[in-house]
Amino acid sequence: MNTSINKNIGEWESLLRDAASVFSKGLIERIKSEGLAMLEKGGHGSVLVDSTGKEYIDCFTSAGSFNLGRGRADLLRVLRESARQTDQGNFIAISEEKAMLAQRLASFMPPALECALFTVVRGEAMDAACKLARGFTGRSEIITVDGGWYGHTGFSLGMSDCCERDLFGQGIPKITAVPFGDVDAARRALTKNTAAFVLETVQAENGCRYAEEEYYASLRRLCDEAGAILIVDESQTGFGRTGYRFSFDCFKFIPDIAVLGEAITGGMFPMTAIAFTGRLKSFFDEHPLIHLCTFGGHDVGCRVAVSAIDLYVAERPWENARRMGGLLFERLDGISTRYPGMVCGIEGKGLLFSITMKDEVNARRFCVEAGGSGFVCARGRVNGSSVVLRPVLTISEDDVRMIAEAVENTLKTMNKG
Amino acid sequence: MKKKISAGILRLNKQVFKLFGKHISKNQIRFLAAGHLDILESERSGIGFEDRTSGRQFIDAFSSAGCFNVGRMNGEVIKALDDPDISDMGNYMVLSRNKIEFAKKLAAVSPGDLNRVVLTGSGADSIECALKLALGATGRKSIVSMVNAYHGHSGFSLSAGGKDYYKQLFLPLKPGFIYVPFGDLDAMRKAVSRDTAAIILEPVQGEGGIHVGSDDYLRGLRSLCDELGIMLIFDEIQTGFGRTGRLFYSEYSGVVPDIMTLAKSISGGVYPNGAVVYRDIDILNGFVDAHPGFHDSFGGGSEIGCIVSSKVIDYLVDNVVWENAGRMGDKFRKGLDRLMEKNPKIIREIRGKGLMLGVEYLHEFMGVLMADNLAKEGVFAAYSGNAPQVMRFMIPITAVERDIDSILLKIEHAVKGMRFYLALMLPLARVMIFRNILNNVNVLIAVNNFLRKLHLA
Ligand SMILES: Cc1ncc(COP(=O)(O)O)c(C=O)c1O
Repeated sequence: MNTSINKNIGEWESLLRDAASVFSKGLIERIKSEGLAMLEKGGHGSVLVDSTGKEYIDCFTSAGSFNLGRGRADLLRVLRESARQTDQGNFIAISEEKAMLAQRLASFMPPALECALFTVVRGEAMDAACKLARGFTGRSEIITVDGGWYGHTGFSLGMSDCCERDLFGQGIPKITAVPFGDVDAARRALTKNTAAFVLETVQAENGCRYAEEEYYASLRRLCDEAGAILIVDESQTGFGRTGYRFSFDCFKFIPDIAVLGEAITGGMFPMTAIAFTGRLKSFFDEHPLIHLCTFGGHDVGCRVAVSAIDLYVAERPWENARRMGGLLFERLDGISTRYPGMVCGIEGKGLLFSITMKDEVNARRFCVEAGGSGFVCARGRVNGSSVVLRPVLTISEDDVRMIAEAVENTLKTMNKG
Repeated sequence: MKKKISAGILRLNKQVFKLFGKHISKNQIRFLAAGHLDILESERSGIGFEDRTSGRQFIDAFSSAGCFNVGRMNGEVIKALDDPDISDMGNYMVLSRNKIEFAKKLAAVSPGDLNRVVLTGSGADSIECALKLALGATGRKSIVSMVNAYHGHSGFSLSAGGKDYYKQLFLPLKPGFIYVPFGDLDAMRKAVSRDTAAIILEPVQGEGGIHVGSDDYLRGLRSLCDELGIMLIFDEIQTGFGRTGRLFYSEYSGVVPDIMTLAKSISGGVYPNGAVVYRDIDILNGFVDAHPGFHDSFGGGSEIGCIVSSKVIDYLVDNVVWENAGRMGDKFRKGLDRLMEKNPKIIREIRGKGLMLGVEYLHEFMGVLMADNLAKEGVFAAYSGNAPQVMRFMIPITAVERDIDSILLKIEHAVKGMRFYLALMLPLARVMIFRNILNNVNVLIAVNNFLRKLHLA
């Protein structure tokens, strides 16, 4: 027993040394201070399994990728079988897989969002959306809101409300941010020079802040009046996360472009996408092959995504997310009132929650202590005092109870320390 | 060679075109059709695939711009997916044994002290990461790139691109980029200063039309960078992993860049992945230590991606695939040179290294016609929309002698087939105004789609 623990510790330390020398010391310090100091072996259902076999409830889910549950055997089978039947294909070419996924996605989205472009990482998808808006409108200004976070590539980074943005000199010009939830500010900002208005409906990395339904309806109207494109980032909120297929269903409006994350494949394949209107697609008819992406529309990935969408339709995980989200919110809300000195508040929609702690130090400590209580989570990228909880959408009432207990235990431990 | 296709498949094919046109882009089909590239690939394996409409066997001379360095649908690489421990992509930010093992393997095969790795998801993602690393580490503002450079289509990677065609509809992009002619060291000397964060280049320009960076040029860049504290970034996304006859093109010159970007072939054509490798030097380490989350790629460096990419490296190393690329490249090159000698009115120049070869035709309009003629012979070769006179030949580098003989023969036939069109067009092309019309891509597409219809009827 002891020797095996020692062996595990020995291996862990030696791998950590390797990781420090091939990645960076800073990275190791970061995962330690953020409560992610483990080696992930995989996951199943609602749990993440580490290399020692220990299980944690996965409340990180790679920022909302594993909506259908971790380690889906059915999707993995599709991946393995597809890779034996086809490969990525030539990216400029037409393929059955691209066409079929485009059709399948169109049937899953609201009828207006019937066209698609497939990309790889989330930032690229958002960058493509901004380019489409600029290209289509012939305008350059992009308006976003404060508190958002969209990714690490040019346009996305420029719109994200985080300190990293300023490390790389001037970013893409003509991007401005207005206060989130402020209709008047949006009205003043939207002019005939505006190409796009970009936002997340629920700011996952910023305390899960969201606005009233009327705000989104106003934005929709203001964009129409100004001839601007309304872009919604659904990479964290999409595919059921907020208790609805897409968060714009929850807030009852339809954007011109929706940015979709890896949940499109159930987290089985690095694929993202933008879904957009037929009107916007005329731009890609006029300028074919103007936005290229080698792995975008990877034929194997397309097959995995088609199967994942089939599963979404069959299982409707948004219904469970709404129910379990309601239960979990109640429990968390109750807990937070018992720790007024540490927890400032709970906010969330469906199974996307944020616990706002007193400060960053406490948020970090929360993430570190969470491991001891049996779950993993991560801090918000915009509001570093917030801790985001986004479990798989297939959780049970038992899981809800366990998450709530684990959160309470974590706070208890912190209180003692 | 040619298989009979069932009516059911033909109906399905029609449906595919219809759906693609409806949901993605109708004109992309028209554009591809002009060069006879509107082909549905099936039965992919080795160096080619079967056209699902004609049943004809094709050699893949594009390889998704250099992705298939282990051949198409390499069984050994696909087998990596059977690893019983795989469950899904895993969480980004959380480490795993497979991620660490892959990074170590990559560092071990990378030149010089390129020992440090950032995991990414695609080529463009790697470029974003590399540019940010250089800008962040030096605190400087400007970056020198190349005229005609191609680095991808995301915000910063597009900004680094040297082709207005891809940028002009999306301006303004990131300021601070200067573009100098590729291969011109004097121009570079004039462009750089102590405010230059990085020089970024593809050591062999791919999309720009296969321009090979000479050893002297790359060494010149290296010493300029050393002198002024500039980060030298080699984009080896196309040239990397054996394509040019070395595992990395930089090995020819012995120049170790400060940052190297990778993607495409590291995926084995099976599962997307990418990476940035950088030198183990204080200025870069210091920045990454201080900002370890400066480029967290969500979809990049996934658990499955790392398992597959590790296998790709094993395969390339175990089979010394780059040596094969060098040998086959020489043979291919000699054949093309002979063809050029025989057809001076069609081929202007052959360029390239290893199995990254480019044929430049005399006139722009010839690229589309050649693509069409090659397709008739069973060769899938792409011309680029904005430099249609250059055709890239980038067959899977696992090709054997027989494959080279076969593709050379097909190219020879295709060139012969050109004579019919040229009898028509060359006299016209002598007149400036007609030449301009012929070389207009839109005209080309319309004309050639018309010719193709005639041919079919
Ligand atoms: C040299 C080079 N850099 C970058 C890229 C961009 O890679 P991706 O298409 O994966 O974004 C490419 C793709 O063709 C390339 O050839």
